[in-house]
Amino acid sequence: MAKTDTPRHQIIRRCVLQRPDAIASVSISLWERLASELVAIIGQGGFDSLYSRSLHLAVVTFPWLAAGYPSQQAGSRFAGLQTSLEGRDFTEASEASIALLITFIDILVTLIGESLTTSILRAAWGDDALDIAVKDSDNE
Amino acid sequence: MSNKVTIRRLATGVPGLDDLLGGGLPEYSFNLIAGTPGSGKTTLAHQIMFSLANPDRRALFFTVLGESPLKMLRYQQQFPFFDVAKVNQSIKFVNLAADLLDGNLDRVLARITEEVQNFSPSLVFVDSFRSVVQSSKAVPGDVSDLQHFVQQLGMQMTGWQATTFLIGEYLAPEAESSPVFTIADGILWLSQHLHRDSMVRKMQVVKMRGQAQSPGMHTFRISDGGIEIFPRTLLPPGNIGKLTIAGDQRLSTGVPALDEMMGGGVPIAYSLLSVGPSGSGKSILATQFLAEGVRQGEPGVIAAFEKSPNQLLSHQLNELIESGKVGLIDTRALDLSIDETLHNLVQMINGMKAKRVVIDSLSGFELALAPVFRENFRESLYRMIAVLTGLGVTVLMTAELEDRYTDLRFSSYGNAFLADAIIVQRYVEIDGQFRRVISVVKIRASAHSKDIRFFDITADTITIGERLTHYQGILSGDASSTLKS
Repeated sequence: MAKTDTPRHQIIRRCVLQRPDAIASVSISLWERLASELVAIIGQGGFDSLYSRSLHLAVVTFPWLAAGYPSQQAGSRFAGLQTSLEGRDFTEASEASIALLITFIDILVTLIGESLTTSILRAAWGDDALDIAVKDSDNE
Repeated sequence: MSNKVTIRRLATGVPGLDDLLGGGLPEYSFNLIAGTPGSGKTTLAHQIMFSLANPDRRALFFTVLGESPLKMLRYQQQFPFFDVAKVNQSIKFVNLAADLLDGNLDRVLARITEEVQNFSPSLVFVDSFRSVVQSSKAVPGDVSDLQHFVQQLGMQMTGWQATTFLIGEYLAPEAESSPVFTIADGILWLSQHLHRDSMVRKMQVVKMRGQAQSPGMHTFRISDGGIEIFPRTLLPPGNIGKLTIAGDQRLSTGVPALDEMMGGGVPIAYSLLSVGPSGSGKSILATQFLAEGVRQGEPGVIAAFEKSPNQLLSHQLNELIESGKVGLIDTRALDLSIDETLHNLVQMINGMKAKRVVIDSLSGFELALAPVFRENFRESLYRMIAVLTGLGVTVLMTAELEDRYTDLRFSSYGNAFLADAIIVQRYVEIDGQFRRVISVVKIRASAHSKDIRFFDITADTITIGERLTHYQGILSGDASSTLKS
């Protein structure tokens, strides 16, 4: 999905891979934090439509993600995604999770721009997550 | 000594808006921005918010149903005032859609209060308020609910020391009787006026408690830079009478013989109308008027409607403009309002400390206006001339007049009475030749020559010739010599 490896994509990759033994729970935590920040701004409906679109695109490469569509029950928006990720090995789960997040963030960037998206990511994941990733990628 | 409360007024950062509001936005006021779809409500709110918000004066922007917040952020970002660095620092966007779905206004109020408590903003925006109202209409017996909601909101926001804006879609001030109109301290009404094919935006401050707003409708424009308002410039009351113009102070027109005919030149701060048919040298006279000003160290401004600025004006005028001593007003748009033109003129006059202004020509000016303004062209022109001469500048206007030999008219609009002085140029037929003649018809409160004199145009200059003493029937266009008969 991610054809070009932009700094933004590297940040996402790093965030997902921060604990290789817990890809699923780390991913869900990233999603939860992003959702709580974004829903406050663009509303539940806005978030859900972007999320569904991203899943739809990611399913092309990872058909097993299809089970991850949000369920109707409140509070378990990412339960399906968690189950899907937990059922896969490290490589598959991490690649799919990274691809899904990258797709989502890229769509967000096309809609509201790089700087506003970065500012939202910062608020959601914390300055550390973003700054360390940028610093590391500079050193590489 | 006065112990009365002083209301602090915030500078909105929207060009022209503070004048409209009567000096700025009263702090802790509860305001409504209302208007039809597409009238610029959200843009106005964003422009005010981004200009006012800083780390010490934070802003909370609630989006309700209405416009999708994603799209709002996408489109509003196109304006230069949208400062991404302020988002999430000084400015926070909060979506209330989920709280409104069941139409429970108490829940919305509770959520707004909670967010306001947590973020302690000095500015609160609710976009759009209309959707709050409509949504609550699904619930029976809601009129009092709504009134209660608005009252509570107004009270609480003032209590939390926040200046508040509700943004709502409404059709016309008269057609609405929403409780919000009673409760609001200020109401800004935005509208779009279609006339023939052109659209003009107008803004009205329907109400502004505690200060004298500028009454009536004012035009505004939404350009790439955002909103700019052109208040209908009424003469500032303090100015009237202050500026005394001594009738004996004159400006040279740049044509010595013409100055002589006018009794020594144009009196300062007079409006001078130069009337004549096409090609009779009005624009050349105007250029000479400006060039003479430059020669005497008096900068000038020209609003040239006859030719596009790209076209070569006259060589001489071009040089004057390039030297920076004469300012050129951009008149390309065909949807101008008089106020916008006047606004640009006044800005340039003040900037250049100009003493001379040329409007070439009134007919071109009228064409450049949006059709809706042509109807009260005379009234607006009167206002414009009053403002310009009130600034102490001397105004030369040209007016095209087709030659009619049966009636003697000085302007096709009946605008002649607006001018303090009138010069007429026209063609006459003498001895099988078209000859140009010039005459000073009127100079308010001054003696002037009653002569009709020949004049010639050579290389961008007007040369006044002899008096037509021995001719009669000149104004009929068919002059004959009295010597021969």
